[in-house]
Amino acid sequence: MNLILISTLSMGGLAAAFALFLSIAHRKLKVEEDPRVEKILEILPGANCGACGYASCHALAEEIAKGNASVNSCVAGGNDTSQKIAEILGVESEVIQNKIAFLRCGASQLERKKKAEYKGIKNCQAADIIAGGELICAYGCLGYGDCQSACLFDAISMRDGLPQIDLARCTGCGNCVKACPRDLISLEVLDEEPHYRVVCSSLDKGKKARTACEKACTACGICAKVCPFDACHVIDNLAVIDERNCQGCGICAERCPTGAIRYSG
Amino acid sequence: MKLILLFLSAALVNNFVLRYFLGICPFLGVTGKIRAAVTMGFATTFVMTLTAAIIWLVNHFILVQFNLPFLEYVAAILVIASLVQLIEMFIRKTSPVLYRALGIYLPLITTNCSIFFVALFIPLRNYGFIESIIFGFGAGLGFTLVMLIMAGIREELDFADIPKSLQGASITLITAGLLALAFMGFTGLISV
Repeated sequence: MNLILISTLSMGGLAAAFALFLSIAHRKLKVEEDPRVEKILEILPGANCGACGYASCHALAEEIAKGNASVNSCVAGGNDTSQKIAEILGVESEVIQNKIAFLRCGASQLERKKKAEYKGIKNCQAADIIAGGELICAYGCLGYGDCQSACLFDAISMRDGLPQIDLARCTGCGNCVKACPRDLISLEVLDEEPHYRVVCSSLDKGKKARTACEKACTACGICAKVCPFDACHVIDNLAVIDERNCQGCGICAERCPTGAIRYSG
Repeated sequence: MKLILLFLSAALVNNFVLRYFLGICPFLGVTGKIRAAVTMGFATTFVMTLTAAIIWLVNHFILVQFNLPFLEYVAAILVIASLVQLIEMFIRKTSPVLYRALGIYLPLITTNCSIFFVALFIPLRNYGFIESIIFGFGAGLGFTLVMLIMAGIREELDFADIPKSLQGASITLITAGLLALAFMGFTGLISV
């Protein structure tokens, strides 16, 4: 009986002492936090992609709550997110244009011709530094998937050595744009209208481009001739589509002999 | 001299992670990046040293006085849980960035078995007050050292050409096994 009493009292006393100490420490070391920060953080995607320019979603939430960042700063979240944040803060949110990543190379592993065997570190950054990897084409996709590992939203998968961008998952954060050592990915407008885009970045002249790759733009100029709206031009040996003039008729894609112009949603 | 030997013994010869296989969860979980691993190591060292000191006091002045050695476990849990709460508050106040970087692993120090081992080992070996602190501190530094070595190796492994079947967890475990083997070399140093 005595033993039970002593053990209860000693452990209880110890616990009480620690509790007292912790409650004093809690008062001394208290951190004041804006309750809105937590609410905003719940709405943000939480991927810490950094597209907004802040180090993490938490940092952006703090800045929005302070009023230093606008409610539509979150690129990855898009309009839904900014609407919800605007509701919490009781302000109006401007509509922002949705964007998606688009790859400007359309040749699969077999269609890109090799000049050598590359056995170095298996990523694009390293391959690009070492004499441009194994490809003849100095502009095309190296296919080691740096963009895939940079994507925080699982929107990029590699198929036949070429990244496939899942439009439903892509948030337009732009991390893949930074990851690609050959600057093949760009952010493009995503809206209801159809878009045709050039899936080649080679600035080589026709014959050279053709030996490097089956899908290359050879700067033949057919697209420029057939376009009824004066949207296609050949600049520096590469077809360029002017999106301001393009009406989305798709004649250029039909007539391109190598398939370097494609429908891209 | 005896204290130096005790320190070396706890840190190297009887390294908690590689000799006793304690604290494996942070050893495998937080060693992806050197910075996080070292921070975790020092947080654990801090908690271990303080735990060693307080557990000695509790043991000497309460458990031995009232003849209650069976309450060792309860007392250890009380001390460790309170200390982790304290260090969590302290880090949150002084460095919010570090607080978020450590995330869930900070409260998980509570359930780190190596700290519990320190708390149970001290009464077992009848260490004095100073000896206890040296023991806790040495064990903590040994833990930090192993975390640092492992994180360094794993950062290099990211660029290594590893066969597909060995990638991920398996190469990590193989590395850990080889490290443990290497640390066995310290056995000849002293026998404490």
